[in-house]
Amino acid sequence: MDQSIEKQPVKLRKIDLIKHWLGGYSQETCYNYERLQALGTTQAIIPVIKRLYKTKEERAKALKKYMVFFNTEPSFIGTVIPGIAASMEEQAANGVNVTEEDINSLRTGLMGPMAGIGDTVSQGIVYPILAGIACSLALAGNLAGPIMFEIFYKAIMLISGYTMYMIGYKKGKSAILNLLRAGTLNRVTEIFSIVGLMVIGSMAATRVTIVTPIAFTVGEVGVNLQKVLDSLLPSLLPLIAVLAVWKLLVKGKSPTYIIAVLFVVGIVCSLLGILSVPTAG
Amino acid sequence: MVSAILVTIIATMSTWWVSHAITRTWLYPLWSGFLVALAMGEPIVGMKAAAYIQLTYLGWITAGGTMPGNLMVAGVFGTALTILSGADPILAPTFAVPFSLLGILTWQAYMTLNSLWVHKADKYVEAGDLTGVRMMNWIPSGILSFILNGIPAFILVRFGGDYATQALAAIPQYFINAFSTVGALMPALGIAMLLTYIGKKKIIAFFFAGYFMTVYLHLDTMAITVFAAIAGVLVYFFTVDNKKEEA
Repeated sequence: MDQSIEKQPVKLRKIDLIKHWLGGYSQETCYNYERLQALGTTQAIIPVIKRLYKTKEERAKALKKYMVFFNTEPSFIGTVIPGIAASMEEQAANGVNVTEEDINSLRTGLMGPMAGIGDTVSQGIVYPILAGIACSLALAGNLAGPIMFEIFYKAIMLISGYTMYMIGYKKGKSAILNLLRAGTLNRVTEIFSIVGLMVIGSMAATRVTIVTPIAFTVGEVGVNLQKVLDSLLPSLLPLIAVLAVWKLLVKGKSPTYIIAVLFVVGIVCSLLGILSVPTAG
Repeated sequence: MVSAILVTIIATMSTWWVSHAITRTWLYPLWSGFLVALAMGEPIVGMKAAAYIQLTYLGWITAGGTMPGNLMVAGVFGTALTILSGADPILAPTFAVPFSLLGILTWQAYMTLNSLWVHKADKYVEAGDLTGVRMMNWIPSGILSFILNGIPAFILVRFGGDYATQALAAIPQYFINAFSTVGALMPALGIAMLLTYIGKKKIIAFFFAGYFMTVYLHLDTMAITVFAAIAGVLVYFFTVDNKKEEA
């Protein structure tokens, strides 16, 4: 039988994939301006390379291509990229014509879009919704606030990260292109944005706790300005504050500038007796 | 002493992200501040301080290694200082903000110096030394974060207590009131930043829906989340049909 000479195919095992996925969470341990997550992604893929190549030289050669500038969202959505990379490495090791350039051009091509979607999901949606609810609980003195935040955040992150990694590995690049083309991710993002918006709307009403202590008398009648405002529209001042800051941001003012403005406005208005915090509690 | 050591570790690891499976949430003042609160034996006061700081930074997005202010330093140092001085938790954001601005410098130093270890790692990759590559990923950056964040945190907690209480006592009451007002205003920034990030024109009305449901119906955040989820699901299915008809 002459087919016995043929090279035995090297397959990645489940444990290699799990190590690679988990290792990706250390992608930002040595985060740096020069190449951002380059070292992190290189270190993460070591288990895969170890399985596929036996000699030091081959391993060095395979790893070297990862030491280039790389930056994406590494925890929620961007895990699809190492998933695809692992499947391409496996093909390359088994003689399929996949070059270094193929792998790296795909990775650099995807890192931008995945960072965009991933940051929106993780930092624009999951984090503010969970943190918003958790802060409300925490300020009410409930220890469940931060604990719930930790558990839910990590659960969503790990489930989403693992799922995306495995999609990347099993379906390769076609999966992600389909996902992007169908616009499903965008629409799901939009739905969660709606949840996020309603939660922060609620927080604008309850968490920006400024009132005005202005009181004066008109003839015989004492007027408490806050009471007048409350009868007009409760929590009007917080809404004005949020919308004013929003306006500044839209105009392109930096957060640091706005912090300075808030300090000055807060201190001056407090000293002049225009604004204060509710005295009760 | 034990609490100082624990806070040192928290400060170090909130910047040195060993693994996001553990430290991803340590970026956020709510969790890192809560850990500081536990370490310093003041869970409730510290948790409230952490939550106030968190609200200020609610909409802060860190992408590509750039940060408008150092959240990690704000959460850890702000909470620690609030507990040390015995101040009202609403003052926590006022304490945290100066730290977060200083923290921009330590963050830049961290991100710049870490580039050195990548060059070391290049050599290890070239030689096929996998252990060396792994070491370069973890060890030097950890030491660096310990120097930049851990040691200052240790000094603050170990030696800062008396100064903090004295300094707070020296501030006249009307200034404390003024700082409380600043603290009450700060969440407006976090909320507004989030609005610019996710508030697209066609869905912005949901922000006002959440706002007025709270103001008029007195619903709490949990209840709002439930209704928001329902609204989201409805929008999703109604837009599916539209898209299919278009196609």
